Amino acid sequence: MTREAIEAEIRRIFLQEFEIEDPAMDVDLREAYQFDSIDAIELLVEIERFLGSELTMEEKKRAMDIRTVRQICSYVEELVRARRPGGSLPIGDLCKEGS
Amino acid sequence: MQRRVVITAASAITPIGHGREDILRSLREGYSGVKPLRQDDLLAPFIHSQVFGTVDYPIPFDFKRVNRKTMGPVSYYACQVAKEVLEASGLEQEFITSGRLGVAFGSTHGSPTVQRDIYKVFHSRDRAGVSSIGAVDYLKSMVHTTAVNITKMFGITGRVIASSTACTTSSQSIGFGYEAVRYGMQDAMLCGGADEYDTTTVAVFDNLLACSTAFNDEPGRTPRPFDVRRDGLVVGEGAGAVLLEEYESARRRGATILAEVVGFACNNNGGDLILPNLAGIRETLRLALRDADMAPDEIDLVSAHATATKMGDIIEAQAISAVYGDRPLVTALKSYMGHTMASCGVIETILILYMMQEGFVAPTLNLEEVDERCAMIRHVPSLVKTPVRAAAVQNFAFGGVNTGLILRKEP
Repeated sequence: MTREAIEAEIRRIFLQEFEIEDPAMDVDLREAYQFDSIDAIELLVEIERFLGSELTMEEKKRAMDIRTVRQICSYVEELVRARRPGGSLPIGDLCKEGS
Repeated sequence: MQRRVVITAASAITPIGHGREDILRSLREGYSGVKPLRQDDLLAPFIHSQVFGTVDYPIPFDFKRVNRKTMGPVSYYACQVAKEVLEASGLEQEFITSGRLGVAFGSTHGSPTVQRDIYKVFHSRDRAGVSSIGAVDYLKSMVHTTAVNITKMFGITGRVIASSTACTTSSQSIGFGYEAVRYGMQDAMLCGGADEYDTTTVAVFDNLLACSTAFNDEPGRTPRPFDVRRDGLVVGEGAGAVLLEEYESARRRGATILAEVVGFACNNNGGDLILPNLAGIRETLRLALRDADMAPDEIDLVSAHATATKMGDIIEAQAISAVYGDRPLVTALKSYMGHTMASCGVIETILILYMMQEGFVAPTLNLEEVDERCAMIRHVPSLVKTPVRAAAVQNFAFGGVNTGLILRKEP
């Protein structure tokens, strides 16, 4: 899955589920759109649907530091990579490695 | 400090209409909002009472997702009437968010619709199901969900009072709001209550043999407060809100003053949690008059709680007779819409406000033959055109809680 496809899906989720149209990539979602922890949890559910795969508690906790759409896209990209055959490195470790 | 408290805006969603004109038309035309019980996949087919006070018309909710996300059906009702009240009030945004405005709003038990969905998951014993409990399910279902969703939607930062005393919920909201303004703790309070459609409430009263069952094929002929053929209450749904303000500041800003709240009382029977109690109710009515510093003969109209249960109506008639004699008109507004539970107090208050303004008293619907045990008070079997200068609104709840409110037309 390409980065472009991930970004398009995230934008679709923001529009359909959160009524946020075309969010800027690098703005703080909380400040700009009142995107709060409740929304973050619901976003994770949407990401699970998108991936067709349940997130681990560790992966979910890691998401709580995310503030921007660009970070969300990177996060999903890492989840996708971790779920590839042979790519089973836990997302927390991937993020620590600065990917 | 004791300040005067006035009502400057009101709105209600009821089984007989949404907003002033709809409701007044229903009261004048004797329209009943009691309809067949909505069927569901839970208890409805097993309930003996097949009638319900139903809000069966579309409501144009126009809430942003940022507000909708923490609302169950009960909060939709609550926020809609709150929105209409704030719009009608003309209050400045700066005041609304200043901390000088508080909220007193409640429901019987939050959102049973959301709670049922959570319980279904609990009983599924399915790990995936448990993780499907939404992040907002608690916020949607908790007992104070109506009050805090209102604060969130409008940025209200004053005190929050979230009464939850079943049938006295919203009369407590008004009463506690009145006291908060009267004693200077807030300059204004947005007060009310709401309850959504809930089959479990019907089932509870049905199992207590307290619900009407004899008119399942003719829903509009029940409930029948004070009537010899009454056979129990009819559960309903709805919401109402009023804005209470300190009189001088309301007058200075040119607000429309609908009525003055001059008295409130709340007590408990101190015993049985279900049976009506003459001494407790009588004392509430007297305490409300004392708080208003008014004599019984200054009250022109009593809005009776009158759920149409066998014993409840008799005890209430005795209490009214003991305190007021047979001078004031007594109307029972649940006859139009059933018992809207947490919202009944505020809805009945609003209907009384409307009738005060219009100079008429709507009759008790379905009162064809007064039960002789309730005959000692002045019933209203047909519409009466009359000025109403002061009115009493009384409500009683499971748990032995009683409330009395006294309203005066001209401040």
